[in-house]
Amino acid sequence: MDNGVQLAEAAGSKDPATGLRAVRALRELAERLEALQVAAARDQGWSWEAIAVLLGVSRQAVHKKHAKGRKDR
Amino acid sequence: MFERFTKGARAAVVMAQEEARALRHDHVGTEHVLLGILAIDTGPGARALGTLGIGFEPARSYVAGLGAAHDDALDADALATVGIDLAEVKRAAEESFGPGALDRPHKRFQSGHIPFDPTAKKALELAVREVIQHQGKEINDGYLLLGIVRGEPNPATATLRALGAEPGAVREAVERELRNQAA
Repeated sequence: MDNGVQLAEAAGSKDPATGLRAVRALRELAERLEALQVAAARDQGWSWEAIAVLLGVSRQAVHKKHAKGRKDR
Repeated sequence: MFERFTKGARAAVVMAQEEARALRHDHVGTEHVLLGILAIDTGPGARALGTLGIGFEPARSYVAGLGAAHDDALDADALATVGIDLAEVKRAAEESFGPGALDRPHKRFQSGHIPFDPTAKKALELAVREVIQHQGKEINDGYLLLGIVRGEPNPATATLRALGAEPGAVREAVERELRNQAA
């Protein structure tokens, strides 16, 4: 089965149920990767400021979202 | 708003909440109200769905599938539609951060009350409008269904379509049953 063609067809699907579900799944995946990476960066001594710059958000935003439950907040 | 509901319509709304809980969904939507109507199976709405060949079980499996989009679980199928191989992402994450790295940090617990989503609320309002328009006395499951159909597109009409019933056909079938009931 040509998986590439299948994917292209699905991505081009006009069915909003398919498209919206994909967007949601991407968001959830991004959230988890973000949590993982931010925690790792903090463990390695990165400042909230440095993390925020790379994520393209404010220091306050990244702190508010990820500092909870950390001892080094 | 519920005081004009028939017993059957009330039961369908209560059952909608039960269905949402059983399917572990975080909202009660039009799709669950549809399941409620089918599960209670009394009144012109349920009869109309019967004449269209819409059964509870197939509707429920379709709605359960819709739920995957509402679930917090990582949705491998959905990610595949945009070219992302979740297994590969998991493998890479676990290589760097250890087993289960991508697992949800903490499970959200399902609270007792599951709220109606705005589309379902809208459909209930539209049901009230339908009963006024049809000069009906009380809101039975048929009017609930008319409210859902008038509120399309929503997950319930998507479910009906997937099972082969266009919203227009559902409306006709319900109106026929309402006339039969009045006669």
